[in-house]
Amino acid sequence: MILTDEVQIPLDRNTVFQALNDPEILKQSIPGCEEIKSHSDTELEATVVVKFGPVKASFNSNVELDPSAGPEQFKLNGSGDAGVAGFAKGGADVKLTENAEGTLLNYEVNIDISGKLAQVGSRLIEGTSKRLAKKFFVNFEEALANRHA
Amino acid sequence: MSAAEETMQERQAALKGLGTSRKRVEDARFTQGKGNYVDDIKMPNMLFGDFVRSQHAHARVVSIDKTAALELPGVVAVLTAEDLEPLSLHWMPTLAGDKQMVLADGKVLFQGQEVAFVVAEDRYIAADAVDLVKVEYEELPVLVDPFKAELPDAPVLREDIADQKEGAHGPRRHPNHIFTWEQGDKAAAEAVIEEAPVVAEEMVYYHRTHPCPMETCGAVASMDKVNGKLTLWGTFQAPHVVRTVASLLSGIAEHNIRVVSPDIGGGFGNKVGVYPGYVCSIVASIVTGQPVKWIEDRMENLSATAFARDYWMQGKIAATKEGKILGLWCHTTADHGAFDACADPTKYPAGFMNICTGSYDIPTAYLAVDGIYTNKAPGGVAYRCSFRVTEAAYFIERMIEVLAIKLNMDAADLRALNFIKKEQFPYQSALGWEYDSGDYHTAWNKALDAVDYRGLRQQQSQQVEDFKAGKTRKLMGIGLCHFTEIVGAGPVKNCDILGMGMFDSCEIRIHPTGSAIARLGTISQGQGHATTFAQILATEIGISADDITIEEGDTDTAPYGLGTYGSRSTPVAGAATAMAGRKIRAKAQMIAAYLLEVHDNDLEWEIDRFVVKGAPERFKTMKEVAFASYTQEIPGVEPGLEAVSYYDPPNMTYPFGAYICVMDIDVDTGVTDIRKFYALDDCGTRINPMIIEGQVHGGLTEALAIALGQEIAYDELGNVKTGSLMDFFIPTSWETPNYETDFTETPSPHHPIGAKGVGESPNVGGVPAFSNAINDAFRAFGLTHTHMPHDHWRIWKTANDLGLHS
Repeated sequence: MILTDEVQIPLDRNTVFQALNDPEILKQSIPGCEEIKSHSDTELEATVVVKFGPVKASFNSNVELDPSAGPEQFKLNGSGDAGVAGFAKGGADVKLTENAEGTLLNYEVNIDISGKLAQVGSRLIEGTSKRLAKKFFVNFEEALANRHA
Repeated sequence: MSAAEETMQERQAALKGLGTSRKRVEDARFTQGKGNYVDDIKMPNMLFGDFVRSQHAHARVVSIDKTAALELPGVVAVLTAEDLEPLSLHWMPTLAGDKQMVLADGKVLFQGQEVAFVVAEDRYIAADAVDLVKVEYEELPVLVDPFKAELPDAPVLREDIADQKEGAHGPRRHPNHIFTWEQGDKAAAEAVIEEAPVVAEEMVYYHRTHPCPMETCGAVASMDKVNGKLTLWGTFQAPHVVRTVASLLSGIAEHNIRVVSPDIGGGFGNKVGVYPGYVCSIVASIVTGQPVKWIEDRMENLSATAFARDYWMQGKIAATKEGKILGLWCHTTADHGAFDACADPTKYPAGFMNICTGSYDIPTAYLAVDGIYTNKAPGGVAYRCSFRVTEAAYFIERMIEVLAIKLNMDAADLRALNFIKKEQFPYQSALGWEYDSGDYHTAWNKALDAVDYRGLRQQQSQQVEDFKAGKTRKLMGIGLCHFTEIVGAGPVKNCDILGMGMFDSCEIRIHPTGSAIARLGTISQGQGHATTFAQILATEIGISADDITIEEGDTDTAPYGLGTYGSRSTPVAGAATAMAGRKIRAKAQMIAAYLLEVHDNDLEWEIDRFVVKGAPERFKTMKEVAFASYTQEIPGVEPGLEAVSYYDPPNMTYPFGAYICVMDIDVDTGVTDIRKFYALDDCGTRINPMIIEGQVHGGLTEALAIALGQEIAYDELGNVKTGSLMDFFIPTSWETPNYETDFTETPSPHHPIGAKGVGESPNVGGVPAFSNAINDAFRAFGLTHTHMPHDHWRIWKTANDLGLHS
């Protein structure tokens, strides 16, 4: 499943790019993120609780950030294991473009989900994933706004 | 009417024998919620088992950590393949000559596969503990498309047999290839197709679906360590076979195993196989010394126990310009999932798919079936049909329609032109079967007249004109089907399961006061055996059906039999019942002769008594004879009145039927509305018309489900996308139309009472009738064939692809 969308953030590109690499901002932004641990500048371990319809899943996730093409582009890859509830893996590719209002983020997220989540929630996964992706950027904007307030 | 005649009619009626719409004796308990199903069994100290299942369709199992689960209070054990290996129970044989993992041994091959078995004091603790078992996987590439199984980059699924060039059914050409099964004359069929004036070709896919019985699978195993006896209650369609398999697998002597099938809430083929849950319950009971219960939930049932169908049938049918069929060719790619666990007679890896010449006199035919492994659940059971017969019927009934389009002929006329004629029976088919009896033209004409077929076609043409003129957005489809089934497996000479000949049995005891008990090797799952077998016996021995108890399902008391599936109960166990009844009558005749002081030959049987020929006032009723057999010394005759029959049928039976579905389709929404469904069944001698009616209604509704939406669909990662009843279509009264039923009666010449079996006919005939209606509705707009299931979205898409939305 591939999700694409765009979001406008009223801050300059460098600030936005730095925030995407900031575990504390990420923790506040990822919906359902309970804990985040940095193993290095680019390797994170996160516990994320997500509800897909009737199935509530707690993902133990490993995420690798790829800031090498910054600040024009930011990528991440990861996988999460929710035990019997299922398994998810995927990545995100975000393009950051400066414009008059700040920074435009174009993102492409691909996610593959297996297990009970995919079975029970197949009709819900796409909708839920879209909602979560949107929520991420709403939270992200809010976290940034708080920090730069 | 004389008084004597009236009495005879009354006596006949009192028997409630053959042909009577006797009310089902089972229903008193079912309608009051007093049925006794596996999950109703409760025993002191009973433990509960639950599975840790794979969320991946293909992965290596790197490690299993059960520490946290074992620390949870109330958890008794967590079994893995490692624990089962010393007992050689980590794998088990399948009914198809393959083997299957009981618990994941090194890798998992389908989503939902059993990885570990948690045993706990109650089912909630068991479920919690399942979450605590940590399994580490290493994902492997997933194979879901059987047509990609033999590509160079295809992952090898079954590493355990990757190098085996020979399988249970002949040579294997690739690690993901299971067998090739060929029937008929390939060269002759290809030559006919090469030279024929008209050839129609089509790929006909019968999608993967699932029997989805209302009650899921389950078992209670109880090992009594004091006397060494294992009792196993379970949802078994073949309890005796389960006992034999359990004995062979566990090493427990067969007399120390008692298998009981209590009330079963529907089987439809799903409960024929042996599942890991049964094996794990047995092992857990042996290990703990306590009874262990395992009951599946709905998602487990849909995603892990036996599926049905999944046949890709490439067909070619050749004919003259006038429509006389010359030859048929079929190549089937059969997706069997991760293990070959089809439930077919041993010599038939594709079941009776070679009945695919259908009701037609086709001189030359060829069939090849390739079985393929994929990362899907194992199974391939006969879901309310005899082995692969619904696939065969769907194939030929679609090919006939495709040929009719090619010939620009009416599909009803094309069928009539090619039917096997009444005088051709017994008929030898090009693919090796001997059809016992039939009268297809009579049934067909009766059906066409009943629905005013020609009138319907005129209406349909008018509606097409109206649609083109913009006056309506609805189209009308007429779905025709004339099916021939092959049921009642079967003759021991060619039908066996795990080596056990497919006979069946009946044992009768007449009590001194003239009532009786009969026990059979079959097991009802809703078919009403306790009602109908008593009726067969009532007519044979002259004791009212109300005075006969029918008992099945307990291997300690019932005679050995191969169970109930493939419409075999009436053809095989029903025949055994009649034959055992005749043995009773033969002995009773000797006793009656002694009591009446005449020679045996001077007596004739009359409804419920032996009458002295020429002296009707001198008689002995069966009831009197029964009493005498226990109370008097009869010279030369053993006391008591009992008989047993093990019946090996000389041939299969061949029920048939003519179904017509009239459907209205909303082109803009894809919504279907069934205006009329007419079903004529010929199941030979009719035992209980009411039960037949019920079977036809049930089978048609399952056919409707399959044709119009029910499927087990996988995504490219091997996830089951239809794993719950939210997505898996089960029709309710909302979707179920009114059915008009009818019949003709062409008895089977070789069955003792001429009965052929009916439970599965409506599913076999119904699916093509519904599907043909959808296809037929779009015939005027250039559609030749569209795949099932015809849900609203797919119908809308068909209409859209044909440009009907512009």
